[in-house]
Amino acid sequence: MKVEGVADILSMAFMFILLVFGAVLINAYSMRPLRAATDRQLELKCEYTYEALETSWVEPYTISFLMAATENIVLEHPTVPGPYLRSAMENALDYLSPPGYEISSTFTNDGGTTLTFNENKAPSSKQFVRSGAVSIMGASGENVVVQVVIKLFSVS
Amino acid sequence: MKTSDLGVRMTLTQILKMLVACILVITFILVSASAYRQHRTISSLAKLTDATSSIVTQLAVDQLAHVDETGKKYSYALDMVRLENLKFESEIGGENFEFQISISYQGSENRRFGPEPPENSTNCSLIVPCSLWSNNRFQLAKLGVIAWRV
Repeated sequence: MKVEGVADILSMAFMFILLVFGAVLINAYSMRPLRAATDRQLELKCEYTYEALETSWVEPYTISFLMAATENIVLEHPTVPGPYLRSAMENALDYLSPPGYEISSTFTNDGGTTLTFNENKAPSSKQFVRSGAVSIMGASGENVVVQVVIKLFSVS
Repeated sequence: MKTSDLGVRMTLTQILKMLVACILVITFILVSASAYRQHRTISSLAKLTDATSSIVTQLAVDQLAHVDETGKKYSYALDMVRLENLKFESEIGGENFEFQISISYQGSENRRFGPEPPENSTNCSLIVPCSLWSNNRFQLAKLGVIAWRV
């Protein structure tokens, strides 16, 4: 009789532990769709940042941010001077970054020359990347392609 | 007397076991019901979030996109003139949504367009970078949308 009693108590305790674990798991996983939707929004913001930089002009010039940076990396005499572009680009990236996040941009040509804006800001483990390419006519008339990478990352 | 004592003790033990089992079953049902309700709420919020993203994309790529004299459309470049004919409602996935827009650019205040969001309804807000066609220039701007179910 005593053995039967202990077995009953053990099975009930086991059921109770299962119930607690089940409740914890349900709560942990129930937020996943919302987190995924928030991540999709951040991915969208990263995509829009690229498009905005591709379309918007650097004040007071009539050339887009991406094209101005591409010129700086390829041409000897770019439309927008380097120091001015750095200041304008970093202001623009700060203005466009959502609260709690930072944006950095990197431009690399085939020769390996790299131009990075907001390079001092270290990306955290969670980051969203949008990459693309801008082509421009080089000094000797050849077509030069510059790879562009925009990173949106949370500030740790 | 001894037999009677043993009978009473067994009955008490059985009642206690039954009570614990009942508590476990009731707790299980409550946890399941609560999880189901939470899942529905979160799914609904996730759908609203995705619908807001969809509205933003419709606006930036099509409804508010700048069109020049030659008819060329500039996606992601907004034109305030196109706000005149804009309807602040949209149907997405069989559900109707209303929204309010805000547009701002560097050094300017937020300008809001459309109805105010109701206080007693859940809404979702999303702000994305974009370009704004203003004074014959493309300048950096932000497009904000607050959407809610009708």
